[in-house]
Amino acid sequence: MVSFIGRRLCQALFVLLIISVVSFIIQDNLGDPVRQMVGQSVSLQERAALQQELGLNDPLLQQYGRFLMGALQGDLGMSYYYKQPTLDVIVSRLPATLELSFCALLLVIILATPLGVIAAIHPKSLLSRAVLFISTLGLSIPIFIVAVFLMYFFAIEWRVLPSFGRGETTSFLGLWQTGLFNQDGLRHLLLPSFSLAFVLTPIFIRLIRAEMQDVLQSDFIRYAWSKGISAPRIYFLHALKNTMLPVITVGGIQAGTLVAYTILTESIFQWPGMGLLFMEAVTRVDVPLISAYLMVVGVIFVVTNTLVDVVYSMVNPRVRIPGYSA
Amino acid sequence: MLRCLLILLGMGFSAFSCLAADIRIAVDADPISLDPHEQLSEAGIQYSHAVFDPLVRWRQNGTLEPRLAQSWQMLDANTMRIQLRNDVQFHSGNRMTADDVLFTVERLKGSVDFKALFNVVQNVDKIDDYTVDIHTTHTYPLLLNILAYVFVMDKGFYEGQAEVVKFGQTFASSNVSGSGPFLVKERIAGQRLVLQRNPHYWDQTSPGNVQNMEWLPIRSDSTRLAALLTGDVDAISPVAPIDIARVQRTPDIQLLSMTGTRIVMLQLNQSRRKELQHPKVRQAMSLAINQSLIVEKILRGYGEAAGQLSATAFAGHISDLMPQYDIEQAKQLMAEAGYKEGFRITMMAPNNRYMSDEKVAQAAAAMLEKINIKVDLKTFPKAQYFQLFDQRAADVMMLGWQSDTFDSNNIFEFTLACRDLKTGLGTYNAGEFCDPLVEQGVRLANREMQPKQRERILQGIEHHTAKEALVIPLYWQPIIWATKRSVQLEGVLNFLNFPYWGDLKVSEGIHG
Amino acid sequence: MSLLHRPHVSPEHVTRVRHLLMAIRGDKLALFALLIFVFYCLVALLAPLLSPYDVNSTDFMDLENAELAPYWQTGDSRFLLGTDTQGRDLLSVILYGTRLSLTIGVCAVLIQVLLGVSIGLLSGYIGGRLDAFLMRVADIQLSFSTMMVAIVVLAIFQTMFGNAAYQQLAMLMLILVLGIAEWPIFARTVRACVFAEKEKEYVDAARILGVSKLHIMLRHILPNTVSPILVILTIQIANAIVAEAALSFLGLGMPPSQPSLGALISSGFNYLFSGAWWISVFPSVTLILLIFVMNLLGDWLRDHLNPQEIRG
Repeated sequence: MVSFIGRRLCQALFVLLIISVVSFIIQDNLGDPVRQMVGQSVSLQERAALQQELGLNDPLLQQYGRFLMGALQGDLGMSYYYKQPTLDVIVSRLPATLELSFCALLLVIILATPLGVIAAIHPKSLLSRAVLFISTLGLSIPIFIVAVFLMYFFAIEWRVLPSFGRGETTSFLGLWQTGLFNQDGLRHLLLPSFSLAFVLTPIFIRLIRAEMQDVLQSDFIRYAWSKGISAPRIYFLHALKNTMLPVITVGGIQAGTLVAYTILTESIFQWPGMGLLFMEAVTRVDVPLISAYLMVVGVIFVVTNTLVDVVYSMVNPRVRIPGYSA
Repeated sequence: MLRCLLILLGMGFSAFSCLAADIRIAVDADPISLDPHEQLSEAGIQYSHAVFDPLVRWRQNGTLEPRLAQSWQMLDANTMRIQLRNDVQFHSGNRMTADDVLFTVERLKGSVDFKALFNVVQNVDKIDDYTVDIHTTHTYPLLLNILAYVFVMDKGFYEGQAEVVKFGQTFASSNVSGSGPFLVKERIAGQRLVLQRNPHYWDQTSPGNVQNMEWLPIRSDSTRLAALLTGDVDAISPVAPIDIARVQRTPDIQLLSMTGTRIVMLQLNQSRRKELQHPKVRQAMSLAINQSLIVEKILRGYGEAAGQLSATAFAGHISDLMPQYDIEQAKQLMAEAGYKEGFRITMMAPNNRYMSDEKVAQAAAAMLEKINIKVDLKTFPKAQYFQLFDQRAADVMMLGWQSDTFDSNNIFEFTLACRDLKTGLGTYNAGEFCDPLVEQGVRLANREMQPKQRERILQGIEHHTAKEALVIPLYWQPIIWATKRSVQLEGVLNFLNFPYWGDLKVSEGIHG
Repeated sequence: MSLLHRPHVSPEHVTRVRHLLMAIRGDKLALFALLIFVFYCLVALLAPLLSPYDVNSTDFMDLENAELAPYWQTGDSRFLLGTDTQGRDLLSVILYGTRLSLTIGVCAVLIQVLLGVSIGLLSGYIGGRLDAFLMRVADIQLSFSTMMVAIVVLAIFQTMFGNAAYQQLAMLMLILVLGIAEWPIFARTVRACVFAEKEKEYVDAARILGVSKLHIMLRHILPNTVSPILVILTIQIANAIVAEAALSFLGLGMPPSQPSLGALISSGFNYLFSGAWWISVFPSVTLILLIFVMNLLGDWLRDHLNPQEIRG
């Protein structure tokens, strides 16, 4: 097991190295950062001097070396726009994204669990067919369409919910700015988290249904039936418990999808989280920030996946660790 | 009323509204720094007008009014004497004197963005505490215009830590002491800038009653509009032309627009394509493009179709030089030039720099196709676009130019003059031509002090440009704001799009 | 079990297809979805014939006609669904957009299948270190969502081909990016199938009879992966179309001069608030319906082909 974890860590490092190369390569190709920072009448010479100052004219390998050394020391460069260490900027936006994802996931769990279970228990019933039908429909509506139309109706036509931003935030234990503890912040959370939940819920309904059906056919559930345990207990205790593990695992792997969806949602609702930060950095050609974002997201992905792998293999010994058991 | 306000403030109350109002505005970009000299941009100057005061500033009618400079006069051809106000106090409590002006101009001359404008200033002499002499390197007719950029900074506050750094945190980029109507309360880059009224503002006659002001940058046009429609903010700019109808249909919201001075044009690269060296081909292209239709359909009638580069307020403007559109004549010119069958050209345009830039480019390309010029159009986000622009990467390039000095010659210097890497002239001449007539005119106009004579020179350049179709002017971009009805923006908005927020009146307390 | 239990797959194939045809006739919803899907495919194929206007003609884009409302609002019979902001006939643009979206989706998934099946077969059949390595790569690649990969890769592509060529190559790039980003889905399924089949006696028997590895893989194992591939295929095409739309929404997809459904929708959003709802609503409905019927078909196929669900 130790060598398994060690192996995974090596792989993780390797992946991070690749990400660092990628995020470094894009630096050169996203436009000229100097151009973004100066007024129109600044001469080419002045601009060239600034490029020199930023080290943009050094050999690529040297620039990469500088980038990597910095990264190892936790220094991912200074954001051109924010004039702060990129890592600080990203960390300051992290709470917004985490809160958004958290609320969305909460909604997903509340909605998807009962619906998924129902659809699994009586697959032929009208109700579960309806659930399935609607979830298929939900699956077919791209998130940006959902978000824009939600905004159009709730914010603009009916004027019941705010259209952008996070609203008021309060400091939580001095650790981060949260919008969860006041009404304004919560109102601002509704539309974005609902949009996110809208596209994730169908995925989870189907996931839970499929897993649940598998579990219901397993021997130990049959055994439970034969022991005369009541139906609700079987469904919601024994079966659900065994359903959730794979669901969470697959959910963990879906973390990447979640990040991509937050980019879309945050751009539409101007939610000041990491996704919006990234898209803005792209338009501002804030290259250090873009690379730092890729690195941070890369680390998050790699860590979640490694964790999921390790946890899954510990809890469920049936899973074969590739390359180990024949 | 103002006194009432001051008293209240002194007592530490701000909740009670003695006609005092709070306002939230959403704009497309926020100032990148608290340092007014770090970047010459629209947002930066808007910010400077709120937190600092310039020596002089533009009136709505295009003349300049005294601010921190009380009066001025030319002592000789190269020297201007300026009398400063003696009742101005900085936010830090320091009094403003001649030393602060010297300090500010010196700093401007060292700022990457402003040095091109202030190179002409040789030095500033202090005569007494409230009098300075400004010496220029040569006779310079636009000295007063550039003094509108001298937002006087507090020497006592900044001294010793006054460096201007483009990429990095400096004292000035996060600490501020100006003399303007607002104090900076909080700034989170890219998220919000919170300003609070300066209780010790020198201009007691200012009608402004805005107590707290919050600036929110919202990049997306539709989200910004949504914020106004939902009442989350009180004023927005710019409003995308497509949203104008929607704004007009909303009862409690008003639209404010005026033609700006930013000229959007197409540049025809004569060194990339021999076809474009042919004056008849350029004229044909110019005739094939229907500027009025572009303004009417894409800009919804806002902005103004242009047949020349100089906006109405500029000295070089020729009132009877209108945009021409004649497709038959254009086809004939093409035939005369020997290109009846047309040709293919490449064209590039930005897609997030100017108002509706991408749509304008598409429309122009479609119009050129009607005279058999097949256009391969590519549009790019501004970050990539201007890199390509510098490389002159296509035969036709789109450019919008706002004259920093609010004078025609600035447009000519940058977009028409021969390219000179040393002086920076012609940096934006993506036509890559070098026209001796233009070159001569530009030089003359920079030294001619006689207004009438100077106007003739500038108009001469304008005429020549139109006749030769050196570039194809499209339109002057509109400045469009939308506000709640209570916000009386019309009193403080000008054709430069520098609203003087300090003077803004709001008819009822909006946020309490 | 006889040695000949599995080697000949084709007769079973025929029955399987017949079985599907029989089943779909009984399921009204699935039949309906199939009909709509076939309709979409026809529209995509015949777009140049069906479209009221020639999108390549110089007269197609005329600002004079910009933003006309649909026929039933204006009475202007020239433009059934109205026009967009450039004065293009919306119906024609949507027809071509559907064609483009479907082409991108189908081509991208073909690449996925090609890559996924070859890698899956290789990985499953050879096993061992190669398998461990390939599946690790698959895991890692899957963990970065397609969108993230696409955003990054498209930026790099843009420079590799030079900015000039980018917009001409936009379609090719989208296909490549979406194709390459999601091969692991097929690879895992195929690999799992191979693992399941490999253990079976007929493969052992074939091996003993001296049939070559390649032959076993292609002739005996591959056909058995057809059902699961078919199921994923439909869903994957739908996913690819949605991904393309989302990329266009972020400005990384098709250029406005050559709009796919996604590009149409995202440009239409800017007009939603100003009242020109048709520019975004019609393409949105077109896209949603397309994705919906494909998902329905995918589900139905899964239920009826019932391949064992195997996770990698």
